[in-house]
Amino acid sequence: MTLTQTASALDAEAIGRIGDRFEEPDWLRSLRGQWWDRAEATPEPTGQEEEWRRTSLADLPRGAGLLLDPPLLETTLPPGAAEAGVILTDLRTAIREHPELVRRSLGQVDGPASHAHIWALAHAAWTGGLFCHVPHGVSVDGTLVARQTLPQADAAFHPLTLVVAEEDSSVTLLDEVVSPDGDAGWYGGVVDVRAAASSRVRYANLQQLGDGAWRVGAERVVVGQDAVVTTLNAEVGSRVTKLGVDVLMMGKGGTSKVLGLLAAGDDQQIDINTVQDLAADHTTSDLLYLSALYDRAHASFYGVTNVRHGTRQTSSYQECRNLLLSPQAGAEPIPVLEIAANDILRCGHGATAGAIDPAMLFYAQTRGLDAGAAERMIVRGFFEQVVAQIVDETIRERVLAALARRIGAAASDQVAA
Amino acid sequence: MALPIPARPNPALGQIPDSYKYGWHDDEKPLQIFNKGLDAETVAKISRVKGEPQWMTDLRLKAYRHFEARPMPKWGADLSGIDFQDIYYYVTGTDKAVQSWDDVPDYIRRTYDKLGIPEAEKKYLAGVGGQYDSEVVYHNIREDLEKQGVIFLGTDQGLKEYPEIFREYFGTVIPANDNKLAALNTAVWSGGSFIYVPKGVHVELPLQAYFRINTQNMGQFERTLIIADEGSSVHYVEGCTAPTYSTASLHSAVVEIIVKKGARVRYTTIQNWSSNVYNLVTKRAVAHEDAVMEWVDGNLGSKVTMKYPSIYLLGERAHGEVLSIAFAGDGQHQDAGGKIIHAAPNTTSLITSKSISKGTGRTSYRGLIKVYPGCEKSKSTVRCDALILDDNARSDTYPYMEIDEEDVTIGHEATVSKVGSEQLFYLMSRGLSEAEASAMIVNGFIEPIVKELPMEYAVEMNRLIQLQMEGAVG
Repeated sequence: MTLTQTASALDAEAIGRIGDRFEEPDWLRSLRGQWWDRAEATPEPTGQEEEWRRTSLADLPRGAGLLLDPPLLETTLPPGAAEAGVILTDLRTAIREHPELVRRSLGQVDGPASHAHIWALAHAAWTGGLFCHVPHGVSVDGTLVARQTLPQADAAFHPLTLVVAEEDSSVTLLDEVVSPDGDAGWYGGVVDVRAAASSRVRYANLQQLGDGAWRVGAERVVVGQDAVVTTLNAEVGSRVTKLGVDVLMMGKGGTSKVLGLLAAGDDQQIDINTVQDLAADHTTSDLLYLSALYDRAHASFYGVTNVRHGTRQTSSYQECRNLLLSPQAGAEPIPVLEIAANDILRCGHGATAGAIDPAMLFYAQTRGLDAGAAERMIVRGFFEQVVAQIVDETIRERVLAALARRIGAAASDQVAA
Repeated sequence: MALPIPARPNPALGQIPDSYKYGWHDDEKPLQIFNKGLDAETVAKISRVKGEPQWMTDLRLKAYRHFEARPMPKWGADLSGIDFQDIYYYVTGTDKAVQSWDDVPDYIRRTYDKLGIPEAEKKYLAGVGGQYDSEVVYHNIREDLEKQGVIFLGTDQGLKEYPEIFREYFGTVIPANDNKLAALNTAVWSGGSFIYVPKGVHVELPLQAYFRINTQNMGQFERTLIIADEGSSVHYVEGCTAPTYSTASLHSAVVEIIVKKGARVRYTTIQNWSSNVYNLVTKRAVAHEDAVMEWVDGNLGSKVTMKYPSIYLLGERAHGEVLSIAFAGDGQHQDAGGKIIHAAPNTTSLITSKSISKGTGRTSYRGLIKVYPGCEKSKSTVRCDALILDDNARSDTYPYMEIDEEDVTIGHEATVSKVGSEQLFYLMSRGLSEAEASAMIVNGFIEPIVKELPMEYAVEMNRLIQLQMEGAVG
């Protein structure tokens, strides 16, 4: 492992040295350079922006050195997938083995507007990442799994995940990251998902970073015509999470489900900004984020549903529910609608925050559960609204196991296990 | 990534004709008019003309400094059309408020007759105030209420006649250094209503104030202060209209309300400014133990409205409600909503918003629910519904929530819809024209709010909606 200059000392020359070190092809060096220019031209959020009012980057551990050697990335493909032409590998290997495929897709879209700087920075300074490609017409049975383990906490790392599902393909991918507890570090994490026409994509991001980590990243999902995409963000670890998720419904008739599960405790701060951009006719986008907040944890959610002018017959819903499990926990759910079209099938949002209904606790206790077990069962039940929509068993089990670290295992899961 | 999305105007939907029926103006020269523009001298001069005590002059000047120092809000509606130096800050046609319509100058009296105010006073109201440009021209309250100690005066008169009560409460809910527009109001305020309801007194019929802007490029800055003492109740209703001019007028009011233990205040606004008025108003109430505060806020007129009536629930079991209705036609932006701050345990609140946008109109609901730590067993529900009638109309919802207490029940829900073709088809198959059917659907949509209005206002609201809807469909 090599730590060179600190992340805050990045400049065009340092970006160039990343290219030198890995003997990257010219197109890639030039791409890094363009994105570095973009990063410089796009100022860092100041805290005045609506999406950045609730999380300050003042304490971001900029002193952490940039992790140059990509950490361990384990990838698992279900049987037959590789033979069908499915690629799941670290980004650097993909560039070596499939340069044309990667070149066609890497760094071609903008990220969420609120996270434009972070998006640009990651595209300039990435040192590791994941590449997933599913060819035209290929349906993968089973789950693709990528698990990235960071060797140390006190580092800066800006990995890229690029998922390309070609037309009529179908894929399920679990993208996990784990890092040790302890020192403060800066984990970027930029995810770029393209679902081409008529594809079906299920993408789950399971974040289990250590308790000193600042996760400041972004996700961009582009949904093509008649494509069906489900994304899940399960946020379990980190000290601070500041994530921008932008789902662009670009092709007619596309469908997206945007799911989130947050289990936070101690002094964790989770701040999610979402955009559901309904830009084409007959598109559907439903978002559901559920947070269980313990101790002094605080969750903010600022989501925007944007129904563009001139679109017809779109359907959308945005729902954010917060369960407050301690008197010091707090939540700021802000689901925004901006609607510039009148021919909508359905558009709405809902947000709630509150404690467990004491009647529910009482009922569970009259059935013989102690207070702790009753609470665990109720939290697990609260999450069920999202968990029930995770059809893939591998993902469901991994996510529940990760959540159990915070919420404890509910009786029902122990039986199932 | 640019997405070329073609605009597709709906040829079935025509333009709304200018149906605003209060757009006339009087050509009479005002008695006194200050030069356009604002500086510290103008602020001091307003105070001097009114013969105010020194503390008020000082407060005005202090507020003026805050106004100058604070930036314009960058969020919300487009306020770039306001030029603070192109506005008249003080215009008056009278030198005193009188208690008989016969003593109001003829041309002003004619305006109020046209608006039907003296007629309404006889029939439904416990008291009436009328403001014409900067000054209150008429103020009267029923004798029996006056005998019970109810005070209902123009705010300037309140300062003269009840200096102690006035000074105790003025600027305590909305201080001089509040937002830029509220600071401007504190600097140049003129007119408004001053109401005090003594302990245990219930004012059964509404008190009403009617605000009229007449002069072109006029800024109206009325200031209202309502104090409901323990166990009392009062309902205050305000209406407002203005002539239609091609240049901008500014209406920037401040309303402060103190609802003491066990008291109840309802404040109803039917805002029907002409489409050249920027309506930027700060309204805030504090509700003490067991008090109930309700804002009923109807926004139909103006070019731009930014108004979020708020309630600070300071005492246990206090209850706050905001009923907001907004209708934005061509070129209008109604940025309205409400704020409730839960600052005591067992407090409850409800915000209901209904907005309708038509033509190129835009409605935005903007609201805040805040629960401070320790305010256990607080409950709040926010419900927003929006109806978008045309292709170019727009509707936004910005519901802010800051919850720092666990033991609470807070919920928000919103829906946005269009007038469904099935609904229209059904009504038209029963013999209604498309315009009638649309209007009926809109009336049904706002019904939950309209039924909270006093009868004559419900009729007025329905009529205004009808006018807005005329020519809605071709």
